[in-house]
Amino acid sequence: MFRLLLSHFEIKKLSWLALVILLAACASYQTPSTQNLREITDDAGRRVSLPARVDRVISLAPNLTEIVFAVGGGNRLVGRTSYCDYPPEAKAVAEIGDTLHPSLERIIALRPQVVLISTASQLEVFTQQLQNQNIAVFVTDPHDLDGVFRSIEQIGDILGQKEQAALVVQKLRDRTNAVEQAVKQQQPVRVFYQLSAEPLYTAGHDAFVTDLIRRAGAISVTADVPGAWPKYSNESALAAKPEAIILPTGGSMGTGNSTVTEALRKSPAALANRVYKINDDHLVRPGPRAVDGLEEMASALHPDAFKK
Amino acid sequence: MSSTASNIVTSPARQNRVTLRKTVVSCLALAIALLLSIVLMSLIGSEQLPARASLCALASFGTASCGLTRDQFDILFQIRLPRILLAAAVGGSLATAGAAYQALLRNPLAEPYLLGISNGAAVGTMIALVFFGASEWTRPFLAFTGALLATLAVYRLARGRAGATPERLILAGVIVTTFLSSVIVFVTTLMDATRIRSFTFWLLGDLSGTSKALLPVAITIAIVGTLALTLNARSLNLLMLGERDAFDLGVEVGRVRVVVFVVASLLVGSSVAASGSVGYVGLVVPHLARLSLGSDNRISIPAAALGGALFVIVADTVARTIIAPRELPVGAITALIGAPLFIYLLKRA
Amino acid sequence: MRPLLEAHDLTVGYDHRVAVANVSLTLNAAEVTAIIGPNGAGKSTLLRALNGQIKLASGTILLDGQPLERLNRRKISRRIAVVAQEAELRFPVTVLEFVLGGRFPWATNAGWGWETERDLQIAEAVLQETELTELSGRLMNELSGGERQRALMARALATEAPILLLDEPTANLDLSHQATLLALVRNRCDRHQASALVVTHDINLASQFADNILLMKEGRTVHSGTPEEVLKPQILEEVFEVRVLVDAHPVTGGPRVTPVHEPYRHN
Repeated sequence: MFRLLLSHFEIKKLSWLALVILLAACASYQTPSTQNLREITDDAGRRVSLPARVDRVISLAPNLTEIVFAVGGGNRLVGRTSYCDYPPEAKAVAEIGDTLHPSLERIIALRPQVVLISTASQLEVFTQQLQNQNIAVFVTDPHDLDGVFRSIEQIGDILGQKEQAALVVQKLRDRTNAVEQAVKQQQPVRVFYQLSAEPLYTAGHDAFVTDLIRRAGAISVTADVPGAWPKYSNESALAAKPEAIILPTGGSMGTGNSTVTEALRKSPAALANRVYKINDDHLVRPGPRAVDGLEEMASALHPDAFKK
Repeated sequence: MSSTASNIVTSPARQNRVTLRKTVVSCLALAIALLLSIVLMSLIGSEQLPARASLCALASFGTASCGLTRDQFDILFQIRLPRILLAAAVGGSLATAGAAYQALLRNPLAEPYLLGISNGAAVGTMIALVFFGASEWTRPFLAFTGALLATLAVYRLARGRAGATPERLILAGVIVTTFLSSVIVFVTTLMDATRIRSFTFWLLGDLSGTSKALLPVAITIAIVGTLALTLNARSLNLLMLGERDAFDLGVEVGRVRVVVFVVASLLVGSSVAASGSVGYVGLVVPHLARLSLGSDNRISIPAAALGGALFVIVADTVARTIIAPRELPVGAITALIGAPLFIYLLKRA
Repeated sequence: MRPLLEAHDLTVGYDHRVAVANVSLTLNAAEVTAIIGPNGAGKSTLLRALNGQIKLASGTILLDGQPLERLNRRKISRRIAVVAQEAELRFPVTVLEFVLGGRFPWATNAGWGWETERDLQIAEAVLQETELTELSGRLMNELSGGERQRALMARALATEAPILLLDEPTANLDLSHQATLLALVRNRCDRHQASALVVTHDINLASQFADNILLMKEGRTVHSGTPEEVLKPQILEEVFEVRVLVDAHPVTGGPRVTPVHEPYRHN
């Protein structure tokens, strides 16, 4: 029908005009926050462009939520995962799903300027989609306590809370040093970290908690096992004869994992009753409370060094 | 060979058929191989044990330590041997169940894993873990229930006007398997993983942890189940060639069907409750048994049981040593061995 | 002599329709009975009801004077053997093993029993009777359609059952084997006092070999009697809805039925 109303040439002209207008519109489309940009490099080596002032941030991992609150940016957190349960104030923030399957729609609807991601989430495709929406994505990847301190500083920087972040990190470093000093003279305890009893899973070389164990004046008998959370042989656990066993439990794990696995029931650790239950949230979240976990482990393993 | 009456006695057909003697000899040979494998595989593991001392201790049935340290002794008798025996029970159970399903359903591809029966048992066990976590005995029981329900579902789905043709059966099996797999992934994602274990456990099997109490149960069920199915072998021989024909020749088809469904569900249930789904055993081992010893169930069922035990013992030894001290799920190894083997068998047929 | 099998007033239903209605028949020793009729006449259903495979809606079947429902499966299968149209052969089985299956009704141990020497002798005798001895070691699915049919026959004969029910046994056979098979049936009946019931499409074969013919249409008996009594043009034309010519077979003298096909007329 259009053919009757317009001649072929006129259609062509109009189409080109429409295209040009559309392109111009797209080019001039800007969110207010894309002005005044600065660049920071994240733990994945990506150069991330951020506005100078960040008012709306979303965290996609529990440890990142804790860090945001610790540096005083809690009132600017507009989204969190369903696992982000600390500090208690975090529970008032809107949920956007869990760490592995966050809702892209919800995130976009909340109009954040930055989304903080922990590589534990493994969300490459996801980050691409966020960037397409002009949302900055910042990846953290702490493998050890020093990495955590750096994350705190980086997030403090992003949120314009550099001073507070520096204070937090200083306090944490002081506490860490205190622990390390206290256990320096002690004989390192051979420790087995039991993530789950049946099937038997433990902390390997790449697990965050392995660093904490080392600093707590202990040697993880599985420190050299490749990977982060390997499924471990019962025989090797028995043969390792750990002097102490760490049972992460009580936090997000609830009452699970509160008994020692069968193979270690007659280990020196079990026989000497050196089985220590520690809040799992303090051991696996690379955040401020990791130092709590460090202190708890150290005082359990070396009670003499921490007598008050 | 001449076809006159006087030479019939030595006809090749007569010579090649399966007899009691052939059965006993083959099964004895397999049993010896099984025993050898139990002994040999208990010398292999993520921790090195002195071979001679271990053999001596094994020979004494654990009464003498033969120079092994306390820890070595415990590794051998508390960890390794029970695990190998469990592998034997699981392998034997799954292979026998597979052989029986194949005969009853007249389908060489019928297998507990492919038909979704293993997944049914897995869901049953998960329910037991969630609602009756502390009580271990509910696990094999609910696993059995789950397996039986899955069997009935597949059977019902597959029945058309012409009865359960092999094609419809496989289709029904695929539907039930994928549905139940999704249920398993769904529940394991939502629920506390430490209570009900990860889905890799359910879908790929794991022989590393079973209580001392349930091991004798698994072994007993494996033996009793195999016996019960072998005692219906002659009926199954006829059923294998057609339900109507079997009926005409006097087989109580309904009764045999019930026995096979119930016993096979028991076998699958006890295996899955103990170790998750170990796939391909029920497919590859009966095939090999029939290929080398003939389709007669009187020999292929017991042979499958023994062969299945052997297969899973070896597969599990690989699973627990190849990246020691880490472990792979045994189902990954059985699939890696089983799938290419099955392709090869299909090509030969 | 008492009939081997008596069926009185049988009615069989099938998915809301009646497949067989009020059919009676008697099988006597040394007799061959043929059931003929158009498709959907209920012939095969009737046959399956006679050995208890299909449930009756009403009527009684007496086997050796006893009601069929009271007898257990094994007893029945020692007295009635069925030769089906084809076998499901999804597993490799030799001809000998297949035929030995016919000895199952006589197994002292149905579960894990093994064939006796006598079982083997009977199987081999039966293989000879059906001319399958040379093929006894071959796999069943290597056989031709006709050879397989003979194997099915052999298995039925191996049961030593005096009543043979055959469902279109000549369907896959060439001419020479058709005659041989039915001669076999005839032989069995004459020599061993067996009784055979043959469902067939081949009216002339029935005419030649059967003592009695039961003509069915839509589940009912249209006529029964000797071939001469039943194979009359009016009767046949009404049942089969085609013109037929019935004359005397030049060699045997019995009725020979020839359908007369009208040439197709173009309009």
